[in-house]
Amino acid sequence: MSTTENVFENLRLELRRGCLTLAVLAQLRQEFYGYTLRKALADLGLEIDESTLYPLLRRLEAQGLLASEWREEERRNKRFYRLSADGEQIFGQLVEEWQAINASITATINNTL
Amino acid sequence: MDLLDRYLQAAKKHLPWQRQDDIIAELKANLESQLEDKEAELGRPLTAAEAEEWIKQLGAPIQVAAAYQPQRYLIGPAIFPTYWFVLRLATVWCTIIYSIVSAVQILSGGIATSDQVLEAVLRLPGALITTVAWVTFVFAVIEYAVTHSNIKCMPMAPPAAWSPGSLPPIAKDSATGKRPRSYAQAVVEALTGFFLLVWILLIPGHPWVLMGPGALYLQASPFKPGPVLMEFYWCVVALSLIQLGWQCLELARGTWQKPSKARKNVMQVVGLIPLVLLLTVPNHAAVLLKHPALDQARYGVTLDTVNMSIYRVALFIFVIAAIQTIVGIVNFGIGSYRKRVGAI
Repeated sequence: MSTTENVFENLRLELRRGCLTLAVLAQLRQEFYGYTLRKALADLGLEIDESTLYPLLRRLEAQGLLASEWREEERRNKRFYRLSADGEQIFGQLVEEWQAINASITATINNTL
Repeated sequence: MDLLDRYLQAAKKHLPWQRQDDIIAELKANLESQLEDKEAELGRPLTAAEAEEWIKQLGAPIQVAAAYQPQRYLIGPAIFPTYWFVLRLATVWCTIIYSIVSAVQILSGGIATSDQVLEAVLRLPGALITTVAWVTFVFAVIEYAVTHSNIKCMPMAPPAAWSPGSLPPIAKDSATGKRPRSYAQAVVEALTGFFLLVWILLIPGHPWVLMGPGALYLQASPFKPGPVLMEFYWCVVALSLIQLGWQCLELARGTWQKPSKARKNVMQVVGLIPLVLLLTVPNHAAVLLKHPALDQARYGVTLDTVNMSIYRVALFIFVIAAIQTIVGIVNFGIGSYRKRVGAI
């Protein structure tokens, strides 16, 4: 990989990191367990590695944004996640922030083109 | 799937111990669902090669586990698995090289004394701390260089060399019904072994650590330990060293969960040697008189009684230890035979 590609890759990962959290929170307004959440995000065009998504769910839960429970489904115990009350509130704030940033960035890009 | 279970078992060892079971249960459920989908898509189970390829795509167990670790600032998650791998390797090699060099140094000066061995053992933690400090320093510099430049840090030695085929087999805990030994338990056992060794090495120079005030009585008494007691003592030191080395090796190799039965049997057999020494000394003379010419008439009978008591106690312990050893070896043999027959 060339230096330019390396730089791009690092920046792309940085850009994705924050967006992924928002996408996960958005999707978890409905209840999912790890694998089905990953599939749902992939269907929407957002591929996430297992090694990124599953620890991220744990971190968001530790921060109080998600609530989880173990439940049996199709003869297998699975851990289901959904937004907690705090999570919903913070998600609302993040969406506002996202829309503001998105509008500014779009305007900036359009201005400079 | 056996390979998936082995993969999860390997990842579990590197997870925070409080949440190990919970994380592994969740990962297992997610990966099994993924596997089911893959197989439903293909309309058949995965072949061995496909399963290996899939597991390999998931990433090295140590890296998967690293993502669940709390954030580390000195050494980041990208190089932490490599740091941890090198650190373990360095401490093991430091211990081995240090032990060899110390043994050569001590033995080149003639007959080893317990104080020399004790000094060498007590210097070991210092050597280990220095090694850990240097390895940490080097990796902290690498981390700094990586985070302050545009270098993309690729995973180094263990993940690159990682292959699903090299995963260890599943530990058969359900067969014995015993819980596997935890890492904390194994560390406590190794530390206990270390302090026990230090305590044993202190005995010749400071007999009060064994006998308390009785040491003063021994000093003033007309008796002294015979050469066989020193041979007995050095055998015990050697056994403690072997045991400690073995425990450290298990910790370094990540095999602490199931202590080897073969090791236990070997240690039991070797453990009989000091007792045999005591039992075979001519005339049971474990204890001698300091001045035989002067004291034989007065203390001769007492000396015989003391030596006979030591002999009887040693014989009693030997019989019990020998029975335990034989039972252990027979059980081990039966277990191995059953395993062989079961595998056919």
